[in-house]
Amino acid sequence: MQYSKNYTFIRLIFLFLSGLMLLFIVAPLLGLFFSTSLPGLFETFRDSEVTNSIGLSLGISALFTLLAGVFALPLAYIMARREFRGKAFIQGLIDIPIVLPHSAAGIAVLGFISRDSALGKFADILGFNLVGSPFAIGIAMAFVSVPFLINAARDGFQAVPERLEQAARSLGASPFKVFRQISLPLAKPSIITGLVMMFARGMSEFGAVVIVAYHPMTTPVLIFDRFNSYGLDYARPVAVLFIIICILVFISLRLLARKRKGT
Amino acid sequence: MLSCRKLSYTVGDFTLRDFSLELNRGDYCALLGPSGSGKTVILELIAGLRPLKKGSVFIEGKDYTRTPPQHRPVGLLFQDYALFPHMSVYENIAYPLKIRGIDKVEIRETVHTFAEDLDISRHLNRMPDTLSGGEKQRVALARTLVIHPLLLLLDEPMSALDAPLRESSVALLKNLSAKGITILHVTHDPSEVDSLANRRIHLGNSSK
Repeated sequence: MQYSKNYTFIRLIFLFLSGLMLLFIVAPLLGLFFSTSLPGLFETFRDSEVTNSIGLSLGISALFTLLAGVFALPLAYIMARREFRGKAFIQGLIDIPIVLPHSAAGIAVLGFISRDSALGKFADILGFNLVGSPFAIGIAMAFVSVPFLINAARDGFQAVPERLEQAARSLGASPFKVFRQISLPLAKPSIITGLVMMFARGMSEFGAVVIVAYHPMTTPVLIFDRFNSYGLDYARPVAVLFIIICILVFISLRLLARKRKGT
Repeated sequence: MLSCRKLSYTVGDFTLRDFSLELNRGDYCALLGPSGSGKTVILELIAGLRPLKKGSVFIEGKDYTRTPPQHRPVGLLFQDYALFPHMSVYENIAYPLKIRGIDKVEIRETVHTFAEDLDISRHLNRMPDTLSGGEKQRVALARTLVIHPLLLLLDEPMSALDAPLRESSVALLKNLSAKGITILHVTHDPSEVDSLANRRIHLGNSSK
């Protein structure tokens, strides 16, 4: 009897604390939505500066997520499969962008692409200025978000039994074929999760992006700009629209991943 | 046919020292020993899945010591069968043929021939996780045999099978052996190979 009473009490406490936690996440979002009028939202949707910034945020994030995948997947595979001296150090390096303040990450990226850097000088010879370009935005987005892809893919590769790769080798497959035909498809759900996480994290990045490129404006920078210049009422509809689009994109990608997994 | 000379290998706490083995064509050799005695390591060394530190592996007189696993004329049946879970039974059996660039018509004919031989034709469209232990073993065997290996390595092939399935598995292996394929069968259970092996090697002892 005493046990049952204790159990019910603990369950109530847990439910109460969980409810507060969920409220903490949902309340600001609901407040944002309820304080935005529908006509205001439609007007924002017709604002070309807003739609251009959304297109830019989504497009650059998608492009640099795919580009990063080319380099991130081999690294994730090595981290999953090989034991070597300094592996913990390399893992630490991969995680650094997650723990850095994003403005500091932006400063670091700026140093990497500025006219004084080797990359900046090279671009200068070709007639480009990387700072303030879509390329700079992409690099900043990728820098802060690529650990999500590497770590998710590494977990996915780790979950593939090494036996299956050995079986493929013994059946005549080269190491690359084993990677492409066995490891990659079996780790696909984790890789897709990583790609979605990286894409979502990249398109919503503000701190690093604003330092390397105020213009052209991504939506997070535009929200900040409107808030700074005109106040909350002007920034709010853009924020609501961007949140709706982020959620829609996120749900679509998740559904697509689930459907692919199902098939 | 198979000549392993003074194989030495260390992994973790286990060390294999100067293991030698000579097999003639058509031999059915049982490699017996308790768990941890290095039976599987020996198979993996012969298959090329582990790089040899010392010793050599010759098959039909040719030195395969430094040859990567995909270029060795060896088939390996894993203890857990290692079927690819994202491929159907048909795709599993077709896999080694596909990576060799064989055309689709020939692949289909070969897969169906082996599936009939091993009595798994009705399972070709199924996924591996829906198969019983015995069915998985037959699929894994078919997948290994389609490449016509000169040497077949079996790693505890019956450990996942219950008694009735073991009997049919013994009959299957006997049938394979009768076709002249050289087999090295690793097991911890001597009764498993009573009616199969013409040679027995106890790890640490010399060949009988």
